Amino acid sequence: MTGAPVPPPDAPVAGQGDAKGTSPGPTALRPARPRWRETLGLLARNPTAAVASLVLVGIVLMAIFDETLAPQGPSEVSVQDRLQSPSWAHPFGTDDLGRDILSRVILGAGVSLRVGFLAVGIALVIGTLIGLLAGFYGRWVDDVLMRVMDMLFAFPAVLLAIAVLAVRGPGSGNTALAIGIVYIPIFARVTRASVLGVREEVYVRASRSVGASDFRLLTRHVLPNAAPPIIVQTSISLAFAVLAEAALSFLGLGTQPPNPSWGLMLAEGRGFIDIAWWLAFFPGMAIFLTVLCFNLLGDGLRDVLDPRQRTLMAGGGR
Amino acid sequence: MRATRPLALAAAGALALTACGGGDSVDTGGGGGGGDNTLVAAVSAQPDQFDPHVTTAYASFQVLENVYDTLVVPDPEDLTMQPSLATEWQTSDDGLEWRFTLRDGVTFHDGSEFDSADVVYSYNRIIDEELSNSFRFQNVESVEADGADTVVLTLSQPTPNLLERIGSFKGMAILPENAAEDLDLTTEANGTGPFQLESSDASSTVLTAYEDYWDGAPSVDGVEFQYITEPAAALTALQNGEVQWTDNVPPQQIESLGGDDDVELETTPSVDYWYMSMNYGRPPFDNRDVRRAISFALDREEIAEAAWFGAAQPNQTAIPEDSFFHLDYSPFERDPEQARQLLQQAGVTTPLTMGLMVTDEYPETVTAAQVIASQLDEVGIDVQIEQLDFATWLDRQGAGDYDAFYLGWLGNLDPAAYYQEQHQTDGPNNYQGYSNPQVDQLLQQGATETDDEARKEIYDQAAKIIVDDVSYLYLYNPDVVQAWAPGLSGYQIRADKAINFENVELP
Repeated sequence: MTGAPVPPPDAPVAGQGDAKGTSPGPTALRPARPRWRETLGLLARNPTAAVASLVLVGIVLMAIFDETLAPQGPSEVSVQDRLQSPSWAHPFGTDDLGRDILSRVILGAGVSLRVGFLAVGIALVIGTLIGLLAGFYGRWVDDVLMRVMDMLFAFPAVLLAIAVLAVRGPGSGNTALAIGIVYIPIFARVTRASVLGVREEVYVRASRSVGASDFRLLTRHVLPNAAPPIIVQTSISLAFAVLAEAALSFLGLGTQPPNPSWGLMLAEGRGFIDIAWWLAFFPGMAIFLTVLCFNLLGDGLRDVLDPRQRTLMAGGGR
Repeated sequence: MRATRPLALAAAGALALTACGGGDSVDTGGGGGGGDNTLVAAVSAQPDQFDPHVTTAYASFQVLENVYDTLVVPDPEDLTMQPSLATEWQTSDDGLEWRFTLRDGVTFHDGSEFDSADVVYSYNRIIDEELSNSFRFQNVESVEADGADTVVLTLSQPTPNLLERIGSFKGMAILPENAAEDLDLTTEANGTGPFQLESSDASSTVLTAYEDYWDGAPSVDGVEFQYITEPAAALTALQNGEVQWTDNVPPQQIESLGGDDDVELETTPSVDYWYMSMNYGRPPFDNRDVRRAISFALDREEIAEAAWFGAAQPNQTAIPEDSFFHLDYSPFERDPEQARQLLQQAGVTTPLTMGLMVTDEYPETVTAAQVIASQLDEVGIDVQIEQLDFATWLDRQGAGDYDAFYLGWLGNLDPAAYYQEQHQTDGPNNYQGYSNPQVDQLLQQGATETDDEARKEIYDQAAKIIVDDVSYLYLYNPDVVQAWAPGLSGYQIRADKAINFENVELP
């Protein structure tokens, strides 16, 4: 059988705009630009998402180079310099133990983002795998996996995370694990729903009819086409994971002192809000900014990755 | 499991979770007549129960102090023992028999007469059921009535601090005979004190004045203890006039409150002390040099300042400055160089990792631990702070599963209470595993010595060895900090943190 080549997944979308007018033939089916570059291009045209991405890149860079950027060590106690209001020497002021808050916010970025990425990574890998299998095979596989997910989903998120931490003990690593477990069902559901829509597509059936293995079908055709909602979910979950880490640390279950974490700093600063607002304000702003940017990026990605919207945008429409 | 009144008041924190934060309109509670004359006090936690012989929670004793009486009570000023239900007492020449003459005309809140049978019943209940304060009777062989107005305590050996043992707090309260059978003591009370327990729920405990109190009816019609967990909220409630008294004052606000006309703030040195303890069962902390190195590496001033904003006195021994038994002994001034030398001498390779258990039940432990970590970091000790809930904390302390911990003891009056159980070989609170025959001998001597000067001499010697060996690493004595509405009178702040509203008058 030498029939027509199976159209690559993104052909219906990407073929139109830029590829138009080039010479017809097999190459016409290939996008002129790799898909990810086009996605970035589209994203750049969405001002809010673009700004959010830039800020996030900044925060990630700050987290990577935290030791270099921070003017002081995070745990350098100096009680005689306590509770100083923001000044040139300490742009964000000092806390109740005389530690430089700017340094702690910078170093806290690493802690918050590490926990966030690790947690979402765990949820993404496990949840996607479960959703993929459940959606693709259906029947009893679907029933078993998704009922387990329903059970996990039935617990309030923070309660489940607290339960995990109660068993495993507090700390950053366990916090990531706890948040990760909480988000597994969300990824499983999103993936499954998306897979259900994709698995009956013509190209999947065609590929199956030429004898492609399940593994090939899943990795080459189903997953790539089911990916957009998962990517959007990842971005939004990162926002929630950062928030959850802050909440758990605020409760004393997450990051342990003296390590800086925004949530922990918020908890420590709470008692001083009357006399030294800067203790809670700056870590609060850091959480706010990071979560907002992840959410805005998620919104932007959703617009860009939605095939219909995308066609519209790529065609120059709004 | 902790015998004397420890800061280990597990119930207080657990219950704080259930206590909703004030906010309700001021409910003056039933009974007692005119509601305007009720004192509303903001306390940080809900009492776990009202059985004075069983509870160890400070929150419970705040209430019980006003409901029950003991044979003798500490004088509010200097904490020496004064008559209460007992009007006088004599000691036999050999010091083995104490005769207490009981007060006439005392009635319980249900109207029944108080007599010697009630004392015998109460003391025997503590002894026979081995309740939390039974150790206070460890030298008592028998408690007997001699007529309706005399009680005789027979001892196995002279016990100079017997009055402190039976009177220092309401854990030794006198209940009416058969109270445990007639009442549910966890929720009900029938004492001889100035106030009767009216009601208690998840937001407050209400007391009403007992008009027939033997020392005259209290000046107010009642007291309402409102539980306000957040110090900032308690302070706001006081400033707004919703409450007239609180002991829940954030230390960082002490300074700014000095100039606040809406609040009268008072502090006094307390008899509490805070310390760090290292586990003798965990090398290298069994090594005296290592413990001394750590003691040399710490700056007590800075730790006290960080935790209490100036409202604590650094102290290298346990007993505070104002006490007769205070020992002015401070061999450890901060000296990182000497600390490093001692570590080297002990053959310890740095960085040495040390776990430090703290609990969010007492936030000052978390604050202080961070300062300690920063100071020890300079001499090559890497402190891993372990912040635990208090139940876990106590479990691990009991199991000896720790390198070091940070905590305090409160409300000690007699030197024996400072040292005996904590430092005697296999003492009930000697969790660290300290054992020094010389200290054991001194503590035994001190427990039976009747002359105060000689006793002080003995305890001074014991304290010096304990400090030198770093059985406990003593850090500071915090102040009692309480605030009330301007114009409130008749209330006296006390070093033992007992809260007595008998003579209080509202502005």
